[in-house]
Amino acid sequence: MRFVDEFRDARLGQAVAGEILAAVDPDRHYKLMEVCGGHTHSIYKYGIDDVLPGNVELVHGPGCPVCVIPMGRVDDGIAVARQEGVIFTCFGDMMRVPGSRYTLLDAKAQGADVRMVYSPLDALRIARENPGRQVVFFAIGFETTAPSTALTLKRARAEGIENLSCICNHVTIVPPLRALLESPDLRLDGFIGPGHVCTVVGARPFGFIPADYARPVVISGFEPLDVLQSILMLLHQLREGRCEVENQYARVVPHEGNLRALQVMSEVFELRPHFEWRGLGFISQSGLRLSDAYRDFDAEERFAVPGVRVADPKACQCGEVLKGVIKPWECKVFGTACTPEHAIGTCMVSPEGACAAYYNFGRYAREREAV
Amino acid sequence: MSAEPPAVACDPNGGRCITCSDEAIPMRVLRGGQESVPCADEQGVTHSVAVELVAPVATGDAVLVHAGVAIRHLGPVA
Repeated sequence: MRFVDEFRDARLGQAVAGEILAAVDPDRHYKLMEVCGGHTHSIYKYGIDDVLPGNVELVHGPGCPVCVIPMGRVDDGIAVARQEGVIFTCFGDMMRVPGSRYTLLDAKAQGADVRMVYSPLDALRIARENPGRQVVFFAIGFETTAPSTALTLKRARAEGIENLSCICNHVTIVPPLRALLESPDLRLDGFIGPGHVCTVVGARPFGFIPADYARPVVISGFEPLDVLQSILMLLHQLREGRCEVENQYARVVPHEGNLRALQVMSEVFELRPHFEWRGLGFISQSGLRLSDAYRDFDAEERFAVPGVRVADPKACQCGEVLKGVIKPWECKVFGTACTPEHAIGTCMVSPEGACAAYYNFGRYAREREAV
Repeated sequence: MSAEPPAVACDPNGGRCITCSDEAIPMRVLRGGQESVPCADEQGVTHSVAVELVAPVATGDAVLVHAGVAIRHLGPVA
């Protein structure tokens, strides 16, 4: 299929890997962060890490929407799901994210009506088909996903559907990146930018990274050639002493983003003063809630929600993994107590999580063959 | 994406769920329109996709789809 096949060409991939090898300074160590969990998945699925020179290190960022959900929000969701007459809907990965005691899957096994959906529009359909029940959608995701929730609520409003509501956990990508750049723990040389978030928000919001922190950004697609080319573009910027936002994914990402999607989001959402991120703590203006115009769809106002903050399990080091301070295999419980089947930490739950990507594709150790 | 079960979505053993993350996939529009239209993914599975954010779309166009919603019009499929 066009837009896919031509970006998986192995011969071209080898050629770009050769150019990467020629572009690196052998006396320098490069630390590049891929912001998005989709990139983490591609890097390990296609073995991109294996064709990079040993001094190019990829650090996995906080861009997996499941991985950054704190336990307290899962508990809130379970509390709503258990209420009489509620049909609780969420994406598949979210069902396995541990709360303080249970997952939504556990709640379902215990009798709650929890249903997996592939789109918030499915929750709208369920609400339409069940007028006597309250249907709640547990909304997660960055700016890529937020338009789908916004569009769903606009359709619900237009249809006069009153039995649908939403627990809004949508987050924005720029504030955690700024927090990471302010962190003294981490020294990064450049960023592989989140291609599909940029499809919605455009390239402009990332301009602060070169302007305020003097680090290059390359907005990248998700096929193996996309990621390799983005790494090469970052290395060229570093070698030439340039520092700017470049768009490798120009076939999809317009500089200004999707203005219609941004308009719909601004109608339906507003920024929360602060929002808790798993492992990163509270970050100012990093989460979305429903705007006054859509507040009647807010499940946190319609239902009793505990709203309790729960500390992450002591054994779990998702926070350090999300900040790129440690590699997944360095976590004390990686691959032993914490596996995709019985996850302790959120990074092991989603296929996009760094721990799951390492586990599923066999990256148990740091060593890799010299290129 | 409504009734049709996506065969490869949400595979916890390394597959990719197109709705659980900020991944989006290209699909081909099977019948043009302004709101909900049928689209086919890479495997040929048909999905109902909301296209208000990129409308209008024509039969044969490619769109980038995330969580049942098209977020980018990619032009006609070659």
